[in-house]
Amino acid sequence: MSELIGWLLDPANWSGRDAIPVRLAEHVLLSGGALAIGLALALPLALYIGHTGRGAFVAINLANLGRAVPSYALLVILFGVFATSARDPLVFTNGPTLLAMVALAVPPIVTNAYTGLRDVDRDVVEAARGVGMGGWQVLRRVELPLAMPVIMAGLRIATVQVIATAALGAIIGGGGLGRYIIQGIARFDNPRLVAGALMIALLAIGADLLLGWLQRRLAVGSRAGEPGEPHGLPISLPTESRRA
Amino acid sequence: MPTSVYGALVQTAATVEFRNVTKRYDGRSKVRAEGETPGAVNDLSLIVPAGKVCVLVGPSGCGKTTSLKMVNRLIEPTSGQILIDGQDVAAEDPVALRRRIGYVIQQVGLFPHQTIADNVATVPRLLGWPGQRIAARTDELLALVGLEPDAYRGRYPAQLSGGERQRVGVARALAADPPLLLMDEPFGAVDPIVRERLQDELLRLQEQLAKTILFVTHDVDEAIKMGDLMAVMAAGGALAQVGTPAEVLAQPASEFVTRFVGADRGLKRLSLRRVRDLELLPATAARPGDDAAEAGQRAASDEVGYLLLVDAQDRPIGWLRARDIPLDGPLSADAAVPMSPLLAEHATLKDALSMMLAADVMAGIVVDPAGRALGLLTVEQIARTLRDG
Amino acid sequence: MAEGDPLIRFDWLLARLDMLAMRTLEHVWLTVLAVGIGFAISFALALVIRRQRRTFSPITAGAAVVYTIPSLALFAILVPITGRTLLSAVIALVGYTLFILVRNIVAALDGVPAEVRESATAMGYSSWARLWRIELPLALPVIVAGLRIATVTTIGLVTVAALIGIGGLGFLIENGLRQFFPTLYIAGAVLSVALAVLADALFVVLQRLATPWARARAAT
Repeated sequence: MSELIGWLLDPANWSGRDAIPVRLAEHVLLSGGALAIGLALALPLALYIGHTGRGAFVAINLANLGRAVPSYALLVILFGVFATSARDPLVFTNGPTLLAMVALAVPPIVTNAYTGLRDVDRDVVEAARGVGMGGWQVLRRVELPLAMPVIMAGLRIATVQVIATAALGAIIGGGGLGRYIIQGIARFDNPRLVAGALMIALLAIGADLLLGWLQRRLAVGSRAGEPGEPHGLPISLPTESRRA
Repeated sequence: MPTSVYGALVQTAATVEFRNVTKRYDGRSKVRAEGETPGAVNDLSLIVPAGKVCVLVGPSGCGKTTSLKMVNRLIEPTSGQILIDGQDVAAEDPVALRRRIGYVIQQVGLFPHQTIADNVATVPRLLGWPGQRIAARTDELLALVGLEPDAYRGRYPAQLSGGERQRVGVARALAADPPLLLMDEPFGAVDPIVRERLQDELLRLQEQLAKTILFVTHDVDEAIKMGDLMAVMAAGGALAQVGTPAEVLAQPASEFVTRFVGADRGLKRLSLRRVRDLELLPATAARPGDDAAEAGQRAASDEVGYLLLVDAQDRPIGWLRARDIPLDGPLSADAAVPMSPLLAEHATLKDALSMMLAADVMAGIVVDPAGRALGLLTVEQIARTLRDG
Repeated sequence: MAEGDPLIRFDWLLARLDMLAMRTLEHVWLTVLAVGIGFAISFALALVIRRQRRTFSPITAGAAVVYTIPSLALFAILVPITGRTLLSAVIALVGYTLFILVRNIVAALDGVPAEVRESATAMGYSSWARLWRIELPLALPVIVAGLRIATVTTIGLVTVAALIGIGGLGFLIENGLRQFFPTLYIAGAVLSVALAVLADALFVVLQRLATPWARARAAT
């Protein structure tokens, strides 16, 4: 324990390429980027199939696929593909990681958005249409707000997933906080190991709590969270499994 | 004493006694998953004689279901005792107690993952009966409730209709031949036609088996039909009146009971009496081919003024108005006017009255099961029974 | 890896089928161990929750926190405590299954219709007999679905656990990466994906087997 504090306070760990802020920034940027791309890809698709109800097949099977494929394995396979074609190490370490993160972020977002939109009370939707709202307006003003808790839950799952995969990226040589763990294992340097692990854990939990808070803020009406969730507790619903 | 197919001596029906039974729920309302707040019970004292059907009836929240559930200890009373055959149920192990009591509920609650045969065999299995005895008993019971054993034994509850499921529920409750049967609105979840049929079947079964039955319902008509004894409960869990249906209808003990049984309690009382209970008026009758003059003379002196034409087996053909009877020659059926309603002997006075009113006649012909005319019943006669009580 | 080598050398793999089989079996064994222990603990916790509903929130919240921690981090945190041993791996793996399975089992048992439970009690089933003969069989389909998720998840997690040295298919990945030998690490990765997909399919079959009475109803 004291060793851990010692490591964290050691100024050597706060400068240079391997510095804590650097690795942290890498991790956050990578995660954020992946989420942004994932959202850009997933959200339009999800909103479309959720609003129209078509493509349930896609939503369900995407969920199954995303659940069954271990993220570590996906990462490694992509690495294999990249490593043989790309020359720049930065590309073939962070490239696969980014790709894997995007690939793994999409299923929870799509599935939850689909489920969330589908679960909106049909009567309310019908009433909205009856008042004269066009399809787009119904989506924006009625379905989205009501489906928000479930959609946010999907986003939370995706975020935690992305942070976890970023951590794994270090194994194939990528950046981020995972590096400390890999180094710690290789050098039998426990303080480094634990420091990295703790930081990743805190980052994941922090992000989850933050999004949970956001989820509750965005919830319309009296719902304190998504259906089925213990009242008010910041827990994401595992419609997806956790991959490595 | 009724015996089962094995000829073994079957348990006699039990007496049930409620002694100052009270159930209070504290401030924290115990809302169960089923959605209803259980009603409290207030100092209930009631004796149910063996072999009788006692109906606990009252508005929702009056504690009738709570009272029922205290008998098999699904709910424990706050104070008071419940005795079965003189023994306090609290003194016995609840699990053993429940195996001696049959229980039928509205949603039936058959085990979906077991076949009908397995469902019916539940309590015998718990009691450790030998396999052959269980199989025989299961078939016996399925037949008893009107379900063909070969057809239904291997099916699953999901494959049955609501009425069929409840029959299985009753069979299951009777499986170990308990001396006491608890029924909580058992026919509430089926449509009125099926409900009537099930009620009739239960009455028929009861004639055969003579069990003690505690029956809960909120339907006054069902209570009147099914009960030997009627216990009317009021909101708050107090007993408002107990007596035979005839007693309660004729002399309601309070404003509440009067309102509860309904303003039409006079008519309801009619459903308790049967056509055969009354003395029928003789009808002047003749057969086609009889001497018309002689028949005409008899018809003239008849107050009704009609002659009833019957066939060789005494079955009614039609009415002949006195003035349509020819002065001589044989009678023929050509001029006969169509029949007034044919009333069965076992029909209730209420049904008989309904039929006569619907046909717009003042009298109906009562026939026996073979169709032979027995006599006449008039609307006036029925009205008189209402007046005279 | 030399220039001009194919990405995957199947001949190399074919020569070492028994090694691959061994690692796969190791992987399966670890998964079964973790899910088995996880299920036992989750079941016990679910029973506690059913007795005392108030414990649902704290138990689930605790499991949720563990679940949120990325696996690499959790394995790493355990190293200084329980070492680079099977125990560390099992603790982490079991921890992950708890979140999935506790909620799953509670929901499965809650899903048994109230009138069925009431009937069973009224017939004279003791609490244990009722749980075993009535509630569990009816809860089984949902539980199997939960086990499906837990198993597939765990298979993925076991690959990561190799990093703290416990073998399995992750070992192939780790070694392959270290030696810059794509054949090995891709083989490891592909095998773990195949294993996960296979397990998923297996559970789909199991789910169908668990409900003969639903099939009977569908047939009518």
